[in-house]
Amino acid sequence: MTTTITNNGNQIIAAFAGRLDTAAAVQTAEDIKPLLEVSGKEIILDCTELEYISSSGLRIFLTVRKDAAAHGCKVIVRNINADIRQVFVMTGFVSLFEIQ
Amino acid sequence: MKTNTQTGKRSHSGLWIVLIAAASLEAISCIMYFTSRAAIRHEAEQRVQSELRKAELQINAVTIEMETAAKMLTTLAERHIENPDSVANATHVLLQTIDHVSSAGIACQPYLYPTKGRWYEVCSSRDTCNGKPCIYTREIGSASHNYFEAEWYNNGLTIDSCWWSEPYLDDSGARTMIVSCTHPIRDKQGKIVAVTCVDLSLDYLQNLSEYLQIYEDSYYVIRSCDGLEIVPGADTVPGRKYHTYDEEIDATGWHISIKIPEDVIFADLNHMGRIVGLLMLLGLGLLILIVWRSGRDSKRLIETTARNQKMENELQIARAIQMAMLPKVFPPYSDHSDLNVYGMVNPAKEVGGDLYDFFIRHDKLFFCVGDVSGKGVPAALVMAMTNSLFRSISAHEEQPEEIVSLMNRAFTEQNTQDMFLTLFLGVLDLTTGRLDYCNAGHNAPLQISNGRCQITNVFANLPLGIIADFPYQAQSAQLSHGDLLFLYTDGLTEAENSNHDQFGEQRMTDVLASLTDTRPRHISDTMQAAVEAFVGDAEQSDDLTMLVIRYQTPAIVMRNDIQQIPTLAEWIDGLGIPDELNMPVNLALEEIVSNVMLYAYPHDKSGQVFVEFSKQMSNDKSQIANIIFTVTDSGIPFDPTQKGEVDITLPAEERAIGGLGIHLVRQLMDEVIYSREDDKNVLTLIKRI
Repeated sequence: MTTTITNNGNQIIAAFAGRLDTAAAVQTAEDIKPLLEVSGKEIILDCTELEYISSSGLRIFLTVRKDAAAHGCKVIVRNINADIRQVFVMTGFVSLFEIQ
Repeated sequence: MKTNTQTGKRSHSGLWIVLIAAASLEAISCIMYFTSRAAIRHEAEQRVQSELRKAELQINAVTIEMETAAKMLTTLAERHIENPDSVANATHVLLQTIDHVSSAGIACQPYLYPTKGRWYEVCSSRDTCNGKPCIYTREIGSASHNYFEAEWYNNGLTIDSCWWSEPYLDDSGARTMIVSCTHPIRDKQGKIVAVTCVDLSLDYLQNLSEYLQIYEDSYYVIRSCDGLEIVPGADTVPGRKYHTYDEEIDATGWHISIKIPEDVIFADLNHMGRIVGLLMLLGLGLLILIVWRSGRDSKRLIETTARNQKMENELQIARAIQMAMLPKVFPPYSDHSDLNVYGMVNPAKEVGGDLYDFFIRHDKLFFCVGDVSGKGVPAALVMAMTNSLFRSISAHEEQPEEIVSLMNRAFTEQNTQDMFLTLFLGVLDLTTGRLDYCNAGHNAPLQISNGRCQITNVFANLPLGIIADFPYQAQSAQLSHGDLLFLYTDGLTEAENSNHDQFGEQRMTDVLASLTDTRPRHISDTMQAAVEAFVGDAEQSDDLTMLVIRYQTPAIVMRNDIQQIPTLAEWIDGLGIPDELNMPVNLALEEIVSNVMLYAYPHDKSGQVFVEFSKQMSNDKSQIANIIFTVTDSGIPFDPTQKGEVDITLPAEERAIGGLGIHLVRQLMDEVIYSREDDKNVLTLIKRI
């Protein structure tokens, strides 16, 4: 599981690759800390290479989403696969994020 | 001078050893190869003949059905011959009644109905209306469709029974082969006034591939009497040799021809032949090395006679070949977590005739343990032959009594030495736990279930090699997950100590009943240690063979360390559950297991979490109905099913960070059941299929 953060002008992009399971979540929670320090930007969570997510991964997404709202940021989730979309539907996350 | 002469003699005899060993190995492998080849060819022929007969029966049945249809239509038409519309309706009714008929028609003599003119032919055929199958009835006789000249019409008028046409290509656009069957129609005075014609689409012949597509790459052709290909075959591959089998169908005069590539029939045998050939070369190489070395060491040569050395080397090589045929990788199937097998042969000094073997085909474990009467090279030769027969026959037979009968016939017909072989052969269905077995005079295996050890109920039948047509009977038993089968040869129970007391069945069952660790290898090692302790310094007189099979619940054990989560995913991948269930199962189990790892045990204490997998079959046993996972831990009592539901409709600001795990488990699984048993948390997750 890897997380790559890139700044692109008004956007900050976090690209996830691999399986975001409970074991990987500890490291990922550290890796996304830069996203919690920005304000007034568009935060993109790029899931093109993300294969799998469990509730510990969802928790990280929710933390980003709550923090963004407090800092006036917008969060966009990009390119989730069918399995992850199913998890988003079951947990109501589809209505919490803008999904592209 | 004296020494020189002796060395000369020795190296001379060394050459003889190599030559005799090479010749006897050559002879053994030739006999084995040709015996097995004849048995396999005989088996293939029998199979082809039996499948051809099935195909013939089906063609006969359809032919009779069509003749009945033609006669039925004739009777209907004769009853209403004065009314042309009723005659037309009769063709419609026939198509509704008999599925195989693709179209049916009635063609009348000139001016039979003055109002209809010179030509009156009605025909019903199958069509599609609004996407559904329907029957389309119309008048087709006219000056442009002048049936008076047609062969079928004239034959129908003159032949006073059913007449069959040769197969021909349907010109109505469907481009399928059809045959027609005609019958004359008489009026009330007995005069022939019309002809019935029913058509049969030969598409049904394509379905015969169920019988006739016997081997991979084999194909079949069906030809009419005139040699027309009704069902065309594939092209033969140039340079490939084919075995051809022909059959004439009595009812229709057609020919069925099956061609099977020779290399496909003998694929297993050729593979085995290559292994044996390679081992023989290795063995000979070894022998040459030994002879060469012993030639240098004249002091040792003086101590042993050339004769003894020849015998021993020959036996060693035969032994090496024999041992190489037995499966030796344990545990043998990394992709079958529901099965563990361990087998061993502890040979007496001479080569003997014990064997065990097993393999998996279509989720079934085929296994056997056998003991050839006598010892030495003849016994080893029979053992090698048995091994190859077991492999080649079990490659396509599934019934244990069939496999044993075929092995017995092949063996008896070649048995010139009056040898015999006791054998236990089983087929264990790994999806259901059903064990089918056939015993041929061998020791009954032991079955260990929930720590209790009992002797499997077996018919004695008769050892192989005595009566070629002996009717072997099979039996069956049901194994549950966790059950063990312990198979052995009498070298175990008849092992003797220096007082000539035998180890005996009682000591054997005592060892089995006292086991706590039921891994097959451990059982085999424990039993061997017990025998060795009993025998002491006495010389081993017979081969000792054991085969232990454990049909087990697929399970995984993890420590309470969150970094073990990826091993859970690997374990699930190996269970062979349907792809679309992989993610739901993975996610639900991860949520439960990670919860246990994080919260069930105090932080400084190590603990375990145990996940078992099982399947539940549907009532008719034909398919899997439920897959079930049980998660067990010894941590503090905790019932996750009591946790309240999260509200997934709340806006982000009001959503709690936790609580999603158990919510997902409830969504993904069909049933989640908690119980506290023996100070353990047991959570059962059920997913319906």
